[in-house]
Amino acid sequence: MTMAENSASAPSKRVTSALLPGRSAPFLHAPEGARTVYLVTLGAACGPLAAGTVIFGWRSLVVAAVTVLTCAGVERVYYRVTRTPALLGRSHAYLTGMLLALTLPAFVPWYVAMVAGAFAILVGKAVFGGVGHFLWQPALVGRLAAAVIFPVALQPAAWPVLAQDRLLVGDIQRCRAVDDYRQWQGRSAPPGADGFVVSTPAAALGGLTTDPPTYSALAYAPADAPADKGPLLLDLPPVNDLLVGTTPGGIGETCAVVILVAGVYLIYRGYVKWQLPAFFVLSAWSVAAVAPLHLAGAGGLASTVWWPLTTEGLDVGFTYANYQILTGELLLAAFFLAPEMTSRPVTAAGQAVFGAGCGILAMLMKLYLQLPIPCYLAVLAMNTFTPIIDGLFSRRRGKIAPSAA
Amino acid sequence: MIFRRYGAFTGGIDLPDEKDKLLSEPIAVADTPKRLLVPLSPCGGPPARPIVSGGSRVAAGDKLAEAAGLDGVDVLAPLGGRVIGISQAAIATEEGFLTSPAVELAELQDAERIVCTEAGRDWHATDPQTLLNQLASSSLTTHRHPLRPLALWARQAREARCDTLIANVVEGQPYVTADHRLLAEFGWEAVEGLAILGRAIGAERLILAVDERYTEHYRNVIEPARLHGIARVAVAHKYPAGADEVLVKVLTRRPVPAGESAVNVGVAVVGAATCLAVRQQVACGRPLTHRVVTVAGDGVARSGNYWAPLGMSCAELAGTAEGLIHGGPMTGLACPPDAVVGPATDAVLCLTQAIGPRRSGVPSPCIRCGWCAEHCPARLNVAALNDDFELGQVDHARGAGVMACVECGVCAYVCPARLPLTHRVRQLKRTWASASGRTSLGAAPR
Repeated sequence: MTMAENSASAPSKRVTSALLPGRSAPFLHAPEGARTVYLVTLGAACGPLAAGTVIFGWRSLVVAAVTVLTCAGVERVYYRVTRTPALLGRSHAYLTGMLLALTLPAFVPWYVAMVAGAFAILVGKAVFGGVGHFLWQPALVGRLAAAVIFPVALQPAAWPVLAQDRLLVGDIQRCRAVDDYRQWQGRSAPPGADGFVVSTPAAALGGLTTDPPTYSALAYAPADAPADKGPLLLDLPPVNDLLVGTTPGGIGETCAVVILVAGVYLIYRGYVKWQLPAFFVLSAWSVAAVAPLHLAGAGGLASTVWWPLTTEGLDVGFTYANYQILTGELLLAAFFLAPEMTSRPVTAAGQAVFGAGCGILAMLMKLYLQLPIPCYLAVLAMNTFTPIIDGLFSRRRGKIAPSAA
Repeated sequence: MIFRRYGAFTGGIDLPDEKDKLLSEPIAVADTPKRLLVPLSPCGGPPARPIVSGGSRVAAGDKLAEAAGLDGVDVLAPLGGRVIGISQAAIATEEGFLTSPAVELAELQDAERIVCTEAGRDWHATDPQTLLNQLASSSLTTHRHPLRPLALWARQAREARCDTLIANVVEGQPYVTADHRLLAEFGWEAVEGLAILGRAIGAERLILAVDERYTEHYRNVIEPARLHGIARVAVAHKYPAGADEVLVKVLTRRPVPAGESAVNVGVAVVGAATCLAVRQQVACGRPLTHRVVTVAGDGVARSGNYWAPLGMSCAELAGTAEGLIHGGPMTGLACPPDAVVGPATDAVLCLTQAIGPRRSGVPSPCIRCGWCAEHCPARLNVAALNDDFELGQVDHARGAGVMACVECGVCAYVCPARLPLTHRVRQLKRTWASASGRTSLGAAPR
């Protein structure tokens, strides 16, 4: 056989080494894994927890420990029974427990935290198949379950807050109502107690739309307003209290400054895209700025429609919209709960839509439905639409040249 | 302005560079190997017909085999030696390694000077058709993916009426410094080769694109480039600025249609090694049978930039056979044991830290972080494509634009769940292409 025949009889044969998984490019890998993402987010969530521990006392740490250990333990047990592979890592269970603790008030009994943690893992995560498969943010599923099962424990008429000489060491369950509470700053604890029981600013703002209306105006009460329907601003805490977080609320919900700093850190790390919290907060602010309210009319006889930006001037409307953003759980939802990776859309555009939807729904629920946790419910509602939003943004971005094929 | 700066592109990522050691390391001649397996189909086409018989002696540059047609090239002996016979060797192509028949040479002589650096024949007065004929009668191939005979490449470029020719010396991948060193040491020769190619295919605009970080090293190309009217452009140091589709879009603002090659929008792209080979062939009449190969990584015996003869075993060049990567770490292939240096071999790496399962991790379910979509230079939603892969929805993936993927590897690099995303998207492309009857991807039909 000549060499030419030899070579002609040996045609090129394809060796598919390029297509073997695990041995194909790229051979380098970025150091950040899913575990890193969860643990760094957990570290960022320690900021609001620390603030909550200072403001609401050591019981915050107890609640956090209970939820974190419950989440991790329930997930371990579920994994032992079912061997669901996506429940192998523990970091996401820790994160879920931590976020759940941030949404709970510090005064809840231990069993409430435990039931919430178990619901978060079982209903929110495990039945869907674990990390990467769930539809709703698990911590919020646990929070919603707790709100439904323990409405009395979680929604008291007035909420406690520690006095400034009892921070960190005070017992949040030893609080007493006082008559003349106007602001947190400058008040020492009433005798025999560690703090005050006051109505939440969110509840005061919610009183704007109740029927019959509670307030006659926001800043300037009309001269003929009834005596029991004064302006709302008298019942709201000063804005310093809202920024520092010394108002009643969940452990991690109140301290706006720390939430913002931790949230910006997450954005800097790339774990949260700025579009989501930005559109969340801005759309909520916009809705608060344009949505009309029904206030008690002059003389308290007929209710009037109150437009935030026009009725009492731009300055009052602006202040009012800021109060709507700073009270309640909106900031925590925008920076920590809505950006949970698995339950939000993938692309930046999808997240902008998702964030805007969350903000609009949250503010509408907050204004017109007397629901206990409107922002969390809005996030859960938008989580339901995540697959649809993902479907809208699954195509290639940008201007695309026509393909010949 | 010595090198004009250009803007960046959407997506991409700043990779760890890992080039420091070899950036200033001059190209050395590789140790003469014990034997060579010179592949008869270096571009993956039909193998060339051998014209030497077993036992005969050949000198460096002698013809070993004749092209079987337009799809093949003549095969020359890189080094002098004795012909043993025909055996098999694995050659890297875009689609993976192909096993090609190869002429085995032994008792090799040391290489003499590899690149002719004198002023060669004057080609300025030669008309383009004669230049094309010279290329067609030679053993030249493109020295980068997609691999094909240079004559075929030039014909396609002429038929597509390419008005722009880009020399792509943007070597974005970590570790690889072959083209960088080639341009730094043989700058004016490479630039002259680019000018020859531009004249041959009739391109009016010639662009030399380099990485903005390494312009210091390219002072020697400035004067010759000015002489030949070549625009010098420094593109942003962001991977994958060197992918053809991305580079063409950045430099010419012409989007390359999904799944097609840059030739279809009138832009031809070559590499530095191709330019040098063309200059050698046309001006000196001495074909280039060697290739600059970067040998790097923590597992190789001697790292460096080497002139390696085509057909030298990759394992012999690296001094180890375990876990070799052929090409850059982002787009390369895992080396089979019989892999040899082919025209597109720009690097042979051995990364013991990177390749094992410990570092890359076990794939876990997608957590939908969206980093793949954020960094994709083709602006694809890779997470959605991953869903399509898992559900087998090839048509949906095609509708989402999967054919625009440039296979740069960024999505799998950033994936925190360690999913082989690039591999999966490539599978989708292959599946759709084979279903629709295409033979070649990312390239014009041959």
